Amino acid sequence: MRVEYINPFVEAAFNIMQEVLQEDVVRKELYLKKTSQPVMGVAALVGLAGDVEGRVLIDMSKESAIGIASAMNGEKLSEIDELVKATITELANMVTGQAVTKLHDLGFKFDLTPPSIITGDNMQVTDLNVEALIVPLSVPQGLVEINVAIRERI
Amino acid sequence: MKTTSDFPSLNERDPEGVSSDGKAYRVLVVDDSMFVTKQINQILTSEGFEVVATAADGAEGVEKYKELYPNIDIVTMDITMPRMDGITALEKIIEFDSDAKVIMVSALGKQDLVKKSLMVGAKNYIVKPLNRSQVLERVVSVCK
Repeated sequence: MRVEYINPFVEAAFNIMQEVLQEDVVRKELYLKKTSQPVMGVAALVGLAGDVEGRVLIDMSKESAIGIASAMNGEKLSEIDELVKATITELANMVTGQAVTKLHDLGFKFDLTPPSIITGDNMQVTDLNVEALIVPLSVPQGLVEINVAIRERI
Repeated sequence: MKTTSDFPSLNERDPEGVSSDGKAYRVLVVDDSMFVTKQINQILTSEGFEVVATAADGAEGVEKYKELYPNIDIVTMDITMPRMDGITALEKIIEFDSDAKVIMVSALGKQDLVKKSLMVGAKNYIVKPLNRSQVLERVVSVCK
């Protein structure tokens, strides 16, 4: 997978989280996974289809999701309820929206699916025939992993 | 002596959401995201606007507009929604009331859809992530 694909998502996530949380965001080392990988607890999944195809996962622990949703709503939330899910969905919408604008400017044409929120314990994601690039972003509420598995359509 | 005279007024500015004759502008918020609806609600009510109704998709938005008309001043309309998208809902509202003041709410990267809405008759647009001053500036400019 080419790194060009992940950078717009990481930059967008970095900018958007800085803006909505009003906190410092620290970008950690990028890593690559070829096999199945664990999902932390709350993941927003967005599919891509067009010149390139694949998916983007915005993955975080339940605690981080609650913390981020609390900060974005300006109120203390305590469980993964409808509002937390709506807030993380919106976060994913904003991040993928901004990233896609950049990728379209670079000449890639594709569509996005609306985000789905997946929650649960001990989950794994497997992408056959395409490796995933992961960039962890650290915020005071916890770690958010931008996990991108995209390939060019053959 | 009146007790209120003991307190200096710290904020002489009138809230933006109230018209010159002292009535709050009435807003209908159409958005499928509970989070965005809540955000718009908080921003607008803090400036004296009155959010009279919310709708979770375009079809419900059109229905509520017709129900409330003429007791409605402004609509904020999301673009991407299930059942009926915001542009179709905008067309139906304009068809019903050609003076309707509709402001589109869009994610970044949907410039074509924003342009299309402005051609159809939207009065302005707001880009997410929502920012308090941008929301107020755009909504107030449409009210005046």
